[in-house]
Amino acid sequence: MDVRVWLLWALTVLVAASSARNPLYGLLLLLAATVVGVACAPANGRRPFLAPLRFAAVAVPFSALFNGLTAHLGEHVLFRLPAWLPLLGGPLTLEGLAYGATSGLALAAIFGGFAALNRVTPVHELVRLAPRAFHEAGVVLSIALTFVPQTARSLTRIRQAQAVRGHRWRGLRDGLPILVPLLVSGLERSMGLAEAMVARGYGSVADRPQPLRLRALLALGLLALLGGWLAWLFWPSGNGIALGAMTLGGGLIGTVLWLAGRAVPRTSYRLRRWTVRDTVGVLGCALTLAVVLLPLPGRGTLVYSPYPRLTPPGFDPLVGLGLLGLALPALWGEAQGDEG
Amino acid sequence: MIRFERLTYTYPGAATPALCDVSLEIAEGEFVLLAGPSGAGKSTLLRCLNGLVPHFSGGTVSGRVAVAGHDPLAEGPPALSRVVGFVFQDPEAQFVVDRVEDEVAFALENRAVPPAEMRARVEEALRWLDLLALRDRPLEQLSGGEKQRVAIAAALALRPRVLALDEPTSQLDPQSAEEVLEALVRLNRELGLTIVLAEHRLERVLPHADRLIAFPTPPATDILSGPPRQVLRRMEQTPPLVTLGKALGWAPLPLTVEEAHRVSCIAYRRSPIAYRRSQVANRQSPIANRQSPIANRQSPIAIRDTRYAIRDMRYAIRDSRLAIRDLRFSYGDAHVLHGVSLEVATGELVVLMGRNGSGKTTLLKCIVGLLRPDGGTVALDGQALAGQSTADICRRVGYLPQEPDDLLFADTVAEELAVTLRNHGLLARPPVAPARLLARLGLSDRAAAYPRDLSVGQRQRVALGAVTVTRPSLLLLDEPTRGMDYGSKRELLRMLREWQAEGTGVLLVTHDVELAAQAADRVALLDGGRVVAQGTPAEVLTAAPGFTPQVAQLFPATGWLTVEDALAGRGSAAR
Repeated sequence: MDVRVWLLWALTVLVAASSARNPLYGLLLLLAATVVGVACAPANGRRPFLAPLRFAAVAVPFSALFNGLTAHLGEHVLFRLPAWLPLLGGPLTLEGLAYGATSGLALAAIFGGFAALNRVTPVHELVRLAPRAFHEAGVVLSIALTFVPQTARSLTRIRQAQAVRGHRWRGLRDGLPILVPLLVSGLERSMGLAEAMVARGYGSVADRPQPLRLRALLALGLLALLGGWLAWLFWPSGNGIALGAMTLGGGLIGTVLWLAGRAVPRTSYRLRRWTVRDTVGVLGCALTLAVVLLPLPGRGTLVYSPYPRLTPPGFDPLVGLGLLGLALPALWGEAQGDEG
Repeated sequence: MIRFERLTYTYPGAATPALCDVSLEIAEGEFVLLAGPSGAGKSTLLRCLNGLVPHFSGGTVSGRVAVAGHDPLAEGPPALSRVVGFVFQDPEAQFVVDRVEDEVAFALENRAVPPAEMRARVEEALRWLDLLALRDRPLEQLSGGEKQRVAIAAALALRPRVLALDEPTSQLDPQSAEEVLEALVRLNRELGLTIVLAEHRLERVLPHADRLIAFPTPPATDILSGPPRQVLRRMEQTPPLVTLGKALGWAPLPLTVEEAHRVSCIAYRRSPIAYRRSQVANRQSPIANRQSPIANRQSPIAIRDTRYAIRDMRYAIRDSRLAIRDLRFSYGDAHVLHGVSLEVATGELVVLMGRNGSGKTTLLKCIVGLLRPDGGTVALDGQALAGQSTADICRRVGYLPQEPDDLLFADTVAEELAVTLRNHGLLARPPVAPARLLARLGLSDRAAAYPRDLSVGQRQRVALGAVTVTRPSLLLLDEPTRGMDYGSKRELLRMLREWQAEGTGVLLVTHDVELAAQAADRVALLDGGRVVAQGTPAEVLTAAPGFTPQVAQLFPATGWLTVEDALAGRGSAAR
């Protein structure tokens, strides 16, 4: 699937998991994210994608316990902690535990969505989504991301090299034998990469400076956006005008970025053709967003609160089906060779 | 195509010029090999081709350079990147993105090449370098040779007329190096690309070179340039076949084993009696100059097709320094060592060879406790090492990792030695006087120098000093000759002989078959995490394809591996 569709998919998981406080729907979202991660991530000899379930196994009990110990509401009191204990003192209720567990489940679903996104989409492809006006920043970020694992490997190598000289950690000063070679090798690697990039003609096509009118337009857009936002906050009766100003500001900024991007002489190798898979992915996300955001029948079951008395959560099959729209990418399995 | 006129260049802060009054010409379509010791100016000359010198490095320059009608000194690297493709020593250090195809396309994207043309160019570059099957692979999953071919493809995508390569095979095993060279020869012959390549291991490249440019050891400045045979006659350090040819007065000088066979035949026609004597010697000559401490009870090599394999190895080792039994190790689910057994005797030098990824470095790390084996035992001087910390083990075992720079951080060479002694609590009573060790390492006059300012060979020796100042009874060296010139290798060999004479056992991991032929008392081949062959150098190196020295290829079934062996063998036959 297109990286933009994957991004939309992860954002939809975020919106759905934040909106649906019903643990049954939360569980559904968690499973959908896991199934998509398992089905769509290239294996490459790695272990199956079970990170969301592992995260849930920790987050749900931890969150339940934390909420149970700190929020002393609810009718079913399990036991009481002495009142002199700061924050923890008071009744520990079943409702408090249930609310915490529900929050943990929502957190695990959101984690699952972004963990799956991370697994199926190379970070460099996400960086490529940056507007062309930010091309240089995108390249820098891309290189920085490559440097992180390289530095981690250097650290391991240097630590081992110092260990064979009898190096042991006893105090802060013992960090020097690791830190100095790490810094020096990092600098040397940076210089080497810079030299290689220059040798390959990086920077040979000069970017034209942005004309004054574009810069003025950008300033105007930022001003409109900021003014609209302040009006939204402090002028309740003028919400319509505030919204208009923010829309105008956003539009101006977008236009400036587009115009500035056109002046950046870059082309892209990976031009993807839009495929049926992408359309279905978007439709799946649209379906989920519809049941979560639109006032459709059954939407009320999304909201669930165990307070003041624990009751079983409701379940609407239509809402459940809508949330399963997020699992649609799993139908195609591993995405390979679909670049056009 | 390329012309240097009275080029003199001095690096910023340097007292003497790196290039002094260089005048050279290279014709279009030539395959040029730059040879010479480290620090002689090969890399600097390459960087003058695309203007990295002086535009990236700074410094002062005089004279003229012309490349395909361009002036790199005036126009700089951005303009020259269309004309000169540059490939560096370490492919990983030049990668910007993480996938094969994206890396090849990177320079084209930055040049705003239209997508359709970009696709055609990427396709073309991948095809020339035989990378089409790997186009979607993450770079980190590629072998060293494949990575270097990606770096060449990335340079080729800009359709340069000259390809400049700075020791592109120095970090590769013999097979991977051969893959890269084959690709370069194809580009030169079929595409007419001018190739200028700096390299220390001349024997690999000489057969393909049209021109050899030899840099002298500084401070000498007289650069030799011309057809390889002509230049080789005047060079001091030459590959084994050439050295042998010069010693025996062969003409023309052979660059390949096939040529050497032909020259031998000509020698036969000129003097059949002497030739027949030498052939008799070929069949009878024992390897008299090898005093191996191993009593080999049975011939261990069994060759199956082109693979090497050994079914049974029983060596009686006297005074075992290191004894490894059935060592197993895995990274997660990937099994790297499958029951390795190996011994190193007192004063013995065992060379461990094998392709990249065969488990050699992993084995060394298991010995010193950096990695914890899944099973098996490691014993030093009869005492099991299991459960001991790396620091404790390394008081008795000197381990030199692949990157000497990872060890060096102190302000002076002498301080590097003192740090190791301090770490082990031996500073007050050092087992070997640091001054004496520095003298052995040939670093007495560099004791106060900043280690990272030294040459590759000198840094390697400082690192060696830092791990041997505890006077270990066993030395483990992981590819210590990478990027080393002939002189530095000879120095290393001398030092290893001195350590051996004192009883130190040495386990040397290397891809350098000529070094193995000169240094080894015994050779072990590791393949797929198993010791697949083990025996005397003559037994193993002559039986394992890809690991046979030139002299052994020329005189099969004689047991001769080095020029000295061959000269001694032929001499005794003539008598």
